[in-house]
Amino acid sequence: MADGPLIVQSDKTLLLEVQHEEADECRKAIAPFAELERAPEHVHTYRVTPLALWNARAAGHDAEQVIDALIGYSRYPVPHALLVDIAETMARYGRLRLEKHPIHGLVLTSTDRAVLEEVLRSKKIQPLLGERLDGDAVVVHPSERGNIKQLLLKLGWPAEDLAGYVDGEAHPIVLAEDGWELRSYQREAAEAFWHGGSGVVVLPCGAGKTIVGAAAMAHARATTLILVTNTVSAHQWKQELLRRTSLTEDEIGEYTGTKKEIRPVTIATYQVMTTRRQGVYKHLELFDARDWGLIIYDEVHLLPAPIFRMTAHLQARRRVGLTATLVREDGREGDVFSLIGPKRYDAPWKEMENQGWIAPADCVEVRVTLSDSERLAYAMADAEERYRFCATTSSKTRVAEALVRRHPDEQVLIIGQYIDQLDELGEHLGAPVIKGETRVKERERLFQAFRDREIRVLVVSKVANFSIDLPEASVAVQVSGTFGSRQEEAQRLGRVLRPKAGGGGARFYSVVSRDTVDQEFAAHRQRFLAEQGYAYQIIDADDVLAGD
Amino acid sequence: MVMDISPYGTLSAERLTIVGMSTEFAEWLRGRSDEQLRELVTLRPELITPVPAHVEGLAGRASSPSAIGRVLDRLDRFTSAVLETLAVLAPPVAYRPLRAQVARGLSGPADSVFEARFRETVDRLRSLALVHGPDRALVPAPGVREVLDGPAGLGPPAAETFRHYHAERLAELVEDLGGGGGGTKEGLAALLADRETVARLVGEVSPQARAALDELAWGPAGGRVPNARREVRVATARSPIEQLLARALLAATGEESVVLPREVGLFLRDGRIHRDLSPVPPPLGGTARDRALADRTAAGQAFTFTRAVEELCERWSADPPGVLRGGGLAVRDLKRTAALLDLPEWAAALIIEVAHAAGLVAASGSVDGDWMPTPGYDAWKVRPAEERWTALATTWLAMDRVPGMIGERDERDRLRSALHPDLRRAAAPEVRATTLAMLAAAGGPDAPLAPTLEAVRERLAWEQPRRRVADRDRLVEFALREAEQIGVTGLGALSGHGRALIRPVPGSGAEGGSRTAPGSGAAELLAPLLPEPLDHVLLQADLTAVAPGPLTGELGRWLALAADVESTGGATVYRFSEGSIRRALDAGQGADEMLAMLARHSTTPVPQPLAYLVSDVARRHGRMRIGTASAYVRCDDPTVLDEVMADRRATPLRLRRLAPTVIASKTSRATLVDSLRAMGYAPVAESLDGDVIVTQLDVRRTEGPPQQRVPAAFTGLDAEVITAAVRAVRAGDAAHRARRRPVDAPEGQVPRSPATATIGALREAIRQGSQVWIGYLDSQGNATSRILEPARMEGGYLTAYDETRAAVHRFALHRITGVAEVQG
Repeated sequence: MADGPLIVQSDKTLLLEVQHEEADECRKAIAPFAELERAPEHVHTYRVTPLALWNARAAGHDAEQVIDALIGYSRYPVPHALLVDIAETMARYGRLRLEKHPIHGLVLTSTDRAVLEEVLRSKKIQPLLGERLDGDAVVVHPSERGNIKQLLLKLGWPAEDLAGYVDGEAHPIVLAEDGWELRSYQREAAEAFWHGGSGVVVLPCGAGKTIVGAAAMAHARATTLILVTNTVSAHQWKQELLRRTSLTEDEIGEYTGTKKEIRPVTIATYQVMTTRRQGVYKHLELFDARDWGLIIYDEVHLLPAPIFRMTAHLQARRRVGLTATLVREDGREGDVFSLIGPKRYDAPWKEMENQGWIAPADCVEVRVTLSDSERLAYAMADAEERYRFCATTSSKTRVAEALVRRHPDEQVLIIGQYIDQLDELGEHLGAPVIKGETRVKERERLFQAFRDREIRVLVVSKVANFSIDLPEASVAVQVSGTFGSRQEEAQRLGRVLRPKAGGGGARFYSVVSRDTVDQEFAAHRQRFLAEQGYAYQIIDADDVLAGD
Repeated sequence: MVMDISPYGTLSAERLTIVGMSTEFAEWLRGRSDEQLRELVTLRPELITPVPAHVEGLAGRASSPSAIGRVLDRLDRFTSAVLETLAVLAPPVAYRPLRAQVARGLSGPADSVFEARFRETVDRLRSLALVHGPDRALVPAPGVREVLDGPAGLGPPAAETFRHYHAERLAELVEDLGGGGGGTKEGLAALLADRETVARLVGEVSPQARAALDELAWGPAGGRVPNARREVRVATARSPIEQLLARALLAATGEESVVLPREVGLFLRDGRIHRDLSPVPPPLGGTARDRALADRTAAGQAFTFTRAVEELCERWSADPPGVLRGGGLAVRDLKRTAALLDLPEWAAALIIEVAHAAGLVAASGSVDGDWMPTPGYDAWKVRPAEERWTALATTWLAMDRVPGMIGERDERDRLRSALHPDLRRAAAPEVRATTLAMLAAAGGPDAPLAPTLEAVRERLAWEQPRRRVADRDRLVEFALREAEQIGVTGLGALSGHGRALIRPVPGSGAEGGSRTAPGSGAAELLAPLLPEPLDHVLLQADLTAVAPGPLTGELGRWLALAADVESTGGATVYRFSEGSIRRALDAGQGADEMLAMLARHSTTPVPQPLAYLVSDVARRHGRMRIGTASAYVRCDDPTVLDEVMADRRATPLRLRRLAPTVIASKTSRATLVDSLRAMGYAPVAESLDGDVIVTQLDVRRTEGPPQQRVPAAFTGLDAEVITAAVRAVRAGDAAHRARRRPVDAPEGQVPRSPATATIGALREAIRQGSQVWIGYLDSQGNATSRILEPARMEGGYLTAYDETRAAVHRFALHRITGVAEVQG
């Protein structure tokens, strides 16, 4: 094909020209084995990583299919070395397998003795293994199922986990589809997970990941442990489960800082699970409190390291991870792969937006010029204080106010990092502020009032980053952030991406101080937005103020 | 029917007959037709460089060890086996018994394929003048048996191996073997030639001794044992070796070496000389590829390779690595280059070596030099991609350097570094050519074959079993790996353009002299497979520009300046950043100019964030200016500085007023102070032109000559030369045989004729085979007059039989003063 839509680069990125007539077809063909890295307006970049190739293998694709797709859609000849590399990488998955043995329990078997020998020589692997049964099989201590998978992945020989799962304690759960129904992609996601056994479902914010979780529970029909990021999110999960499934109040327990209920379906927060007293995780026993048939990890890209360690011991239980992005700021994507499972479902934001499942968004960066005195003060500030200083200048407050005035009929969220700044904004705008110290009850009251349009403007700190459903917010103004965090940007954008009743688009403003570190961080975060395909422009604060 | 082999041919006997054999051989050669002689010298061009004077000379050269060695190296396993069999049997041997003996060594049945192949082989050996005589009495050419020393891994005949034994010892052996009539080596040989005797002797020895024999049976026939000359008798023999020595089953050839006599070897081989012989080459195992796919893959790699060479040269322009004292490139620099090119080290080394051999990079100066591109690189860079590739690929084919060995240790445990002068193997070009020729012959036209490395090695071992090339197996491996990397092969199969690259250029020979540049056919085939250069990019809001193919020169250079390359391959991804925009501004670009350039070359509108970035960086660019000054003058009272500025004596100080109260100067502080004192003031300064200094990448070039080109591989002789050579030999031979007396040249001077007429007349004489009368200035400058029978003319020389001297001579054309027809 001399003019295909795909260009294969030597660094194993794939460039897909979206305007090309075969682009859709090609996207479907390469999505299984390449991670979408950037999706700006004309050319999407996919990356073929070993993890992505192994994800594809785990999903049943073979090297032949991958190579056919590359050659078939590529505009230019594909370098041979790259094809060889792909074939070799894919062949590494599944050479080693974890299987159930009638006598010895868990065994590591191999179809390639040389690989097994290589792995057995590793000093880190040796302690996890027991007796060697024959040339091709070694006993694995059942408790090390997760650790060995992690280590094997690091060695480049990811094991295929065929040892199966325990069914757990059965508990009837069905979806109550009254007046709503599963969206097609939610159904596909839940089924893809169920067939794979364990794994991660990647869906954009606002695409209804909770419902995918509920659908997964309906497949498992077993007691379920749900791990979420915070208490508010836990409440929302509970509300959602009550609404979408046959579960009743009595069947759902909350295991948070304030309540410690263990019921057939238990929702716990990461925070509680990672609380330590005298160096001991005191809530660890929750994992063993019941014979859980399913464990759901919400926002798996935020999963804290201790939970990874705990998860390593839970390899016999079915696990599903829900996330908007596999990108982890700490680069532990490999651990997600080996401990939660391979990626089972994935749909890009832009596509969901085109289908109307999430609201389209315009991103605007507003550049504020610091006053001369502010610039002097900034230049003299200590290095660690600089960001705080430029992120919270009073010039920003004025601009934020002007932006709120610009959208008099819309629900506006103001999001920031620094409490002083938020308090000041709240005061100026006469809007309530939700921050860390706000009590959960009060938070929920305010959120409800916002949803009911009783409050038009809400100022929130980073507590609202995750899993808070505010579908009616159509304008978000970000005044300060956590440095250049990409996933924070995704989360915040997610706040305004819920489909609107009016069907209109959303606006996401970032107020940034010109010529400061704030601008550098913003550039980092906004590159992420542009790469996600959001129309994105930069305007000067003077234009905003002048338009007043 | 089993034929008995009697290895009678002893060396001494041979020597007696050697003279007779030579005459016989020369007679046989003389009896060959002109056509056959032409075939001979075509197959063995070394026989006519230089042209021998007569057939005896040709025969002598054809039987010289070096000439025979060269032709034996080119024989395949089957042909060698036929010749070896003939050498082992007592010549002359008739066709049928020879065939029967060869057939015994076959791994398969002696079918019609074998019959046909055997016929062909015997004829071929005759064409090569390795075998002569009619079918009823085939004889190896003189010298062949000596060169074949130890044919088929057999030891020398007994008469030869026991030659050094003294008579008493021989007598002992003969006695122990149950023979009589005193001890002569002939007697011993006769005993060993008897199968039953040998069978009995072998039956007597211990199993360990038998195992030792079996070890030597299929060669090599020699072994090493301590104290090989011990004289043991059958009765006293203890160790296995002693048992063998006592029975003459092993012969001592030195203090510590023994050999299996040929008679014993043949017995152990059960009358066979070879085993596992096949009349046809082993099949080339591998995978058949789709031709179009293989071509496209190879083209992709060819493009990548060319790009990588360019990338290398660009990198080395800006930051050239140093030349090691012993020549070559430091390991550190190789690693760094490999990382820059994002390639494994061996591939980077290949790129470096090919770029060097193609004259694109060279050392600047011999001492403390750097490796950097040559002016040749600039010329290469502007050629179309397909020609750039062809230049690299032909260089690779012909170069005698072996990039594959880089990074290994040599015999003296020194690391072999890239570009080191010693990194050569004379056989490398030949191995590449042979390997690719094998690929070219493999598979159908639409399904070229990608053979495995083992299959290629095996085939090569069959085709040239006697050719000894150090590390041949590895050279083959390198050749295959490198061919793939360069894009000569795709998916392991030879590509169309690769085929054109190795194919002898069509049209040569037919119309001699009109040769096209090597590989021009390859460039034509490759061109349509390479991406077209584009003059547009796709600009995106994430501040990238994607060039979906190679860019035209101007746009490519501009983007390389204004953006950073993020990924390369079929497309190039550029990223604009503050730093890259600033770099472009530094290089004298204006913001408006840049935006216009972007708008012109983008198929879509310039994204707002990108336009904003350019303006934003331009806004801040140059707001602060920096200059160099070695001293300054500062004064709170501007009028004083006005005075200084106005003072004519201050002119040589090159003063510059930076601000009302500041003057900068380029002179040193001391000078400034002194001058100002002389003028009646006190201190300080900077001097600048005031303009923005335009910085540019420091692109460097060596003026050193490009590395010498590798001499072109020997392409064989063309038909014209061969015909002429054969004619010259014949003419010389005729003269030689007739013992022609020198003919006196006619009296008087040859009329002078112009050079063109001389050449024309000589060419005509060559064509007709007629004689001419010439005037010739000999090396002393004396005018002579000769009668010649011209044979050929080339390189300013005429080769001709000189009737007046009765010998073949070469004549410098410029010394021939005139040509006339021979009268009467």
